[in-house]
Amino acid sequence: MSADLSRLLNALGLVAIGTVLALAFVDQVWFRDLPCGQCILQRAGFFAAGFGIALNVIFGPKPSHYGIAILGAMAGGAISLYQTLMYIVPGTGSYGNAIFGLHLYTWAFFAFALTIIGCAIMMLDDRQFARTAPMSARLRVLPLSALLLFMALVVANIFSTVALCGGGLCPANPADYIMFAASPV
Amino acid sequence: MMSLPFLFFACGLGAAWLSHRGVAMGFWFVGLVAMLVLFRVHVTEVLNIAL
Repeated sequence: MSADLSRLLNALGLVAIGTVLALAFVDQVWFRDLPCGQCILQRAGFFAAGFGIALNVIFGPKPSHYGIAILGAMAGGAISLYQTLMYIVPGTGSYGNAIFGLHLYTWAFFAFALTIIGCAIMMLDDRQFARTAPMSARLRVLPLSALLLFMALVVANIFSTVALCGGGLCPANPADYIMFAASPV
Repeated sequence: MMSLPFLFFACGLGAAWLSHRGVAMGFWFVGLVAMLVLFRVHVTEVLNIAL
């Protein structure tokens, strides 16, 4: 696999992670399914994992970038696994809406696992690490779009989290945005 | 406080965009540590499961 092809595949991976994060926003804004503290940390986990993939897109594929993506996905996966185990016993409740029968934290765990598997598979081909020449101009549209989407989403998450939680920790079961809630008279 | 990991990752992406790879990786590391510390703060109960 050439470095250019690897960059394109990494850009597709970044689009996939960006899509997951964008869908989380749709669920939050459209369906008023406000994220809990751990849900927000799982979003941060997607950014931690996507960061390594973004480095692959910007600087070219390197084993250290895949390592960053795998470590980020492991951290995010640990958080989603904890939340899944919290509610795994029937009758112990759940958090948020179920999508196709599974809650978002369970889907998040699968997505983190897929990220790790994807990175491991990508690392199997050593030829991509041989050359780090600048990417040819005709291949730049998708990587640039993926990067801009990823950057826009991280900025949007900063504002969303501040609006939801203010300057402190997020409530376990938020009812409204702290910044927009009517202050008691 | 909960937005800190996002802030660090955003700074890291900005640094990467400006071709400062080492700085970007530093921001990523700080963001990851902030994320794990916040997770520890949020874990308030022991899982009630038997493995």
